[in-house]
Order: sequence, then structure tokens, then C-alpha cells
Amino acid sequence: MRAPAPEAFTSRLHGPALAARVGPALGVCFGICFLTGLLSHYAQQPSQPVPFPPGPAWGYRLTQGLHVVTGTVAVPLLLVKLWTVYPRLFDRPARLDVRHLVVTALERLSVLVLVASAVFMLATGLANSAQWYPWSFSFRTTHYAVAWVAIGSLVLHVGIKLAIVRDELRRPLEHEAEPSILSRRGLLRSTWLAAGVAALATAGQAVPWLREVSVLGVRSGDGPQGLPVNTSAAAAGVTASATASGWALTVTHGDRSVRLSREDLLALEQRTEDLPIACVEGWSASGTWTGVRVRDLLDRVGAPRGSDVVVRSLQESGPFRTTVLQAGFADDDRTLVALALGGEPLALDHGYPARLIAPNRPGVLQTKWLDRLEVST
Amino acid sequence: MTARVALGALGVALAAYGGWLVVTRESDLLDVATWLVAGAVLHDAVLVPVVLVLGVVASRWLPWAARGPAAVGLVVLGSVTLLAVPVLGRFGARADNPTLLDRDYTAGWLVLAGLVLVGVVAATLVRSRGQARRVGRGSNTRSG
Repeated sequence: MRAPAPEAFTSRLHGPALAARVGPALGVCFGICFLTGLLSHYAQQPSQPVPFPPGPAWGYRLTQGLHVVTGTVAVPLLLVKLWTVYPRLFDRPARLDVRHLVVTALERLSVLVLVASAVFMLATGLANSAQWYPWSFSFRTTHYAVAWVAIGSLVLHVGIKLAIVRDELRRPLEHEAEPSILSRRGLLRSTWLAAGVAALATAGQAVPWLREVSVLGVRSGDGPQGLPVNTSAAAAGVTASATASGWALTVTHGDRSVRLSREDLLALEQRTEDLPIACVEGWSASGTWTGVRVRDLLDRVGAPRGSDVVVRSLQESGPFRTTVLQAGFADDDRTLVALALGGEPLALDHGYPARLIAPNRPGVLQTKWLDRLEVST
Repeated sequence: MTARVALGALGVALAAYGGWLVVTRESDLLDVATWLVAGAVLHDAVLVPVVLVLGVVASRWLPWAARGPAAVGLVVLGSVTLLAVPVLGRFGARADNPTLLDRDYTAGWLVLAGLVLVGVVAATLVRSRGQARRVGRGSNTRSG
């Protein structure tokens, strides 16, 4: 079987007229995904030259919801975009001189890198949002690294195609009286419709009022105390240590140290804050948390304002067993050692006996099953 | 032209940084390469040929009025089905976490497919009525 020549594809649905219209929308989606992804990556860095701000409280929730929604919407856009340019896969070089061959080969290589990295980003991102890891590499490292490859080859692609896009967008799509299957306008409208359906069918995991229509959302939003769970106590291996009668939270600063049982913590001044829990996987929900202000605890060991705090969980393994609560968060009045959620004692899967909750912070850093708060000196 | 060259150079630099990150931080390069290549190959060698064949089948066997609506239905349902593979397969489900993948995704997909089907049938009926009216009025619109 021989590969077809580009001329063998006679449908008017292939070609630059549609590519120039779907491409920019896809580019915007990838741009949003890249920037919101960088933001999340930075928020998870233990040491931050520019401190990640604790406000607005809903900032991380908004940006990461946007990350997953635009990534999902990019699936129909990418499929249609690739459809419009598919015949180019079978292009043969126009001339046989060396310079032309080299330029053509380089351009095709850049397109191959772009397509491979774009499909990779969407496929791994969607699988991760459903906590499915059918690979052996680290999702976080690889999704981050390939994102640079994807955005770089996209910027290069824009540079190469800018003139074509500009010319195409100046020419209106002509009316087709009798298209063989679908007109160009028809395909364009179908693409926007598919993108809208994709968003509505999945966004409910981050947008509460869409829960009823998001039939393909990874989470319905239900859970113990009305909040979903990412890692259960059983999966973290903390069921025994978290329910042990001798549990106490240790707060240290240099050689000063206090140990506070749950009863001791409940006897301190209790504060209530409405704060979202927003996960890197794209789901988020708001909770009403009650507990002790972290700053009040730090004052008990004489920690000065502006101190970073190392937060340790009862978890015995996992990358987020030990995290850093940067000074900006530690000093924020809304940052709590939460003991209750929605007016009830914290459920075991939500971090009983005590968990950290801070505004505008990645869910993985909202440490559950607290063991120690150590002020860095 | 300067802007395009600048974009090109910036793009190459960003992609090269990404390539360096992959090579230096990755534990299993072969698996990454497999996933990178597999996505592009599955799309180009499987997905598009299947859709091309569907297009040929539709233009031969479907009545004119149904072709456009069926194509719209395929774009919408096909792409949404593809992006829903991780939830439809429930591959990430965990016995210890009932809040994850906690919907009946098959039922949800069937509802979505039903809505698309209703839309396709309704649009087909509207189009064939319109066609019949044009023919009935004896208008001399050329076809083809």
C-alpha cells in the first residue's frame, strides 16, 4: 500500500482556512494551561524567591480549575485542528536542492515535536485528573518538562505560520450551497459546540453549580462532611497513628517546644474560616473550617513573624509528608490548624485529629494528620 | 519578519529547555518516548483513517439530509468520548476512596449520546422538510 498524496484529500474541510480559525483558539488554551501550570508548579516549590501570596483565597482554585477545563476543551480543538492539516502529513518536498530539503525537514520535525508533545500533555493530564497512571515515569516531573517542549514548539509554529493565519483571517469563509457532508462553517460550529459540551460535561468537579450536568466529571463533589477526598487515611497508612489516644501536636521553635493534645487545641481560641480545598488534579470545593490560628500556636513558642514553618504529617512516606509553610501563609490570620469541618469534628479522611488549611494553597500542601510544626530558625 | 524570527528563536529556546528537563530529570526515558510517539502514531495511523472511512461510508450510504447532522454528532460525541476514556474505564478507582470516580459514567455517557442522537435526528428531519419544500415549490436551485 502506498501513502496517499496530499491532493488525494479532496474535502474542503482540510486546509488553512479552518486551521487558521481553530488554531488560535487552541493556542490560547495551551497558553492558559502553560501559565496556570507554571503557577501551580511554583506554588509547590519549598523555596520561593518571590513568596507565593496567601490571597486571594480562591486564586489557586480558579487557576487550577481553569487549567483542567482549558486542557479538556483543547481535546476537540486539537482533534479538529489536526484534521484540517492532516493531508500535509503526506507532503513531498517541492524541490530537491539541499537547502530546501533541510528547511523542509526541520519544519516537519518541529511539527512532529509539537503534535507529539501536545497529544502527550492532554493524554497524561486527563489520565492524571482521574488518578490513572498507566506509565512508570513521574507524572509531575514529566508533565512539567514536556509542557516546555509543547509551548516552545507551539511558539515556533506560530512564528512559522503567522503570515498564513493573518491572510486566512482576512478572507471570510465563503458560503457553500451544497457541501458533500459538512460545510467549513458547519465544521467550525461543530468544533465550538464540542468544546462547550466537553467543558459542561466535566467542569462540575470545580464549579459547584455545574455538578448536575457534569456527567463525566471525575468527582460529583460529595464526600464525608460534604467534601471529596484525595488520599484516604487507609491509603496514607495513618489510621492507627491518627486515632491513637496519645496523639499530640508538637510545635517547636529552637529549644522551645509545646505538645498539645486535641483537647488542649480545642481549649484554645477557635476561629472559623470559609476556605477552598483545591487540588492539582483540578477538583475543588469550599469548606467551613474551625480550629486554632497557626499564628497563635507560633506565638506560644515565641516564633517571630516572617518565619517559615516545616509541617510534618503522621504519614510515613510520600512526597508531601514534610512540606514548608512559607512565612506569608504562616502569618496569615486565615491559616488554621483545623479541628472541625462544617461544625463537626474533622473526618479521619479529611485529616483527623488536625490538619492544616491555608488560603490560596495547593491541596497537596494542605497537610492532613498533623504531627509537628517546626519553626525554621 | 523580525517578529517571526524572534518568535521562532524563543520557541526553539523554550523547547530546548524542556528537552533538557526531560533528559536530565527523567527516570524512565524509554517510557516517556513511548508515550510521546504512541499518541501521535495512534492519532495519525488509527483515529484519522477511521474517521476518513466513516466519511466515505456516510457520503455513500446516508441520505443527504442526514450527512451534515451526523458529522456534527460525530465531532461532538467522538471527541467527548475520547476525553472521557479515563473516567469511562474507571481505571483510577480505589476501594478506599469512594469520593473518586463516584458517578455512573456509563449512564452519563448514554444520556449524552441520547441527546446527540435526538439532535441529529431532529436536524435531519428539518433539513429533509426544507429540501422537500424547495423541490415542491419547483425552485431551480442547482445541486451538486
